[in-house]
Amino acid sequence: MKLARIVEKLSLAVRTGSENLDTEVTAGYSSDLMSDVIAHARAGSLWITLQIHQNIVAVASMNELAGIVLVNGREPEEETIAKAEAEGLPIMVTQLPNFELAGRLYSLGISGVPA
Amino acid sequence: MRLEEVREILDAEVLTGENLLSREVTIGCGADLMSDVLAYGKSGSVLLTGLTNNQVVRTAEMADIVAICFVRGKKPDEKTVNMADSQGLLLLKTALPMFESCGRLYKHGLPGVSECGE
Amino acid sequence: MFQARSFTKVQELVYEMKVKQVMTEDVITVRPETPMRQLREIFLRNRISGTPVVEGDFLVGIISLEDFIKWLYDREENSLIESKMTRDVECLFADEPLVHAVSKFEKMGYGRFPVTDRQTGKLVGVITKGDIIAGLLRKLEVEYIEEEIQRYRASHIFEDIVADRTRLVFEYDVLGQNFEQAGECSSRLKRTLKRLGLDPTTTRRVAIASYEAEMNLVVFTRGGRIVARVEPGRISMDVKDSGPGIADIEKALQPGYSTAPQWVRDLGFGAGMGLNNIQRCADEMEIISSPGKGTHLKISILTGDDGEAGKNSREAQSSSSDRQ
Repeated sequence: MKLARIVEKLSLAVRTGSENLDTEVTAGYSSDLMSDVIAHARAGSLWITLQIHQNIVAVASMNELAGIVLVNGREPEEETIAKAEAEGLPIMVTQLPNFELAGRLYSLGISGVPA
Repeated sequence: MRLEEVREILDAEVLTGENLLSREVTIGCGADLMSDVLAYGKSGSVLLTGLTNNQVVRTAEMADIVAICFVRGKKPDEKTVNMADSQGLLLLKTALPMFESCGRLYKHGLPGVSECGE
Repeated sequence: MFQARSFTKVQELVYEMKVKQVMTEDVITVRPETPMRQLREIFLRNRISGTPVVEGDFLVGIISLEDFIKWLYDREENSLIESKMTRDVECLFADEPLVHAVSKFEKMGYGRFPVTDRQTGKLVGVITKGDIIAGLLRKLEVEYIEEEIQRYRASHIFEDIVADRTRLVFEYDVLGQNFEQAGECSSRLKRTLKRLGLDPTTTRRVAIASYEAEMNLVVFTRGGRIVARVEPGRISMDVKDSGPGIADIEKALQPGYSTAPQWVRDLGFGAGMGLNNIQRCADEMEIISSPGKGTHLKISILTGDDGEAGKNSREAQSSSSDRQ
């Protein structure tokens, strides 16, 4: 499923990288631990996290993730926005907690294990 | 949802608290930051987490969480298991990652905090 | 609503309780070589309708009133019990959960099951449907009484103590830099409040606030002290340390702002939410701190007369905390 379609279906607010919503999302990955994401998130995954620090941009780029969704109403820090814009990385925000966002994505057919 | 169902859906192993499997759980919560669990978690939740240190059990105790399921095959040390045991807390362990675990439980009808009607 | 609740409670209990907790241990038994004609007297005298047959401590069969009637009907004067008893006996183990017994009664339709020890195989008791019901009722009654005692403590503790002002003070010493033991003080405080019978919502708020404050002491200082005061209408906490102090309190209160080292973040804390969490739980919060001189955090949580939390004031006051 295309990222743009997910953004529309779940009413996510796009904060950065709006030019790159045409990416195909292959799986979902929920984690707030950087080392965990670096080790296990596959390319093309949509990353769900509470972390708002600029390090998330570096981690997402390195693993070629489709984008990041910040949950529980978290907003990215200024440095995070600047870096994401420079990289063209989509960052979305939602009021939903991780459990529900993952649940709704899963119900849309996004799996937790890449095909 | 009964904790027994949670165990089945996640194909999880019971680390301690087998006798609590008949209890009801009303809300799902998945997080690796304990302050977040303390802020948004509700009593009666099952907590899914990738962390396995003893503070996860402490957090559950403070926030009246009824069960913890460790995701992605992670296992806490014996001390942490004993701590949970003495508090009457159910500990589960699943090989599934966090996203998949949340997804399955949600799809089977377990709501999150914003839908629990409080 | 009460019915629904007690129904679930019973369901919980049948999973939690074991067969040995409800079975009859004083079992009337007979031996294989006992003549059938003696059964009538045994059944009548003990008001039972069946009994296990044992050799030594081991179960070899079971004989019931039905077998006895059949024997009468067949007119076999001198038979012994061993020729009339059922040999393949369905048993339960003493350590099995009650729910197994319930489903076995349902499935097989028998009136009783002998209970044996899983390890030794010896007969240790007998269980009937009546035993299960009586056992459950006993347990429910005990829990009900315990709940009543709890409630008594909660509602009368301040009324029973005769003084112009009453307050209970609990002090806890927090060790700095010890992540293994972190949270222990808050755990003890929470257990104490539960024992006092405070309502669960208030207890939870105090516990979370105290736990976050304790984590701050552990992470940023070499230790400190938590003093909790329980008095009519409020619970207040003073958390004091002589650590590094907070340079910019306003900044420290911003969600996500943190000076915690990476090892703390890896353990799931230090994400800059601690003080915000305390504020969410508290009705009043005040921080007095200056660099090098330590920090004094004051927290108040209001409780109503009936132990109900002062929820209405929570949202309004949490943002109006004093800052130095």
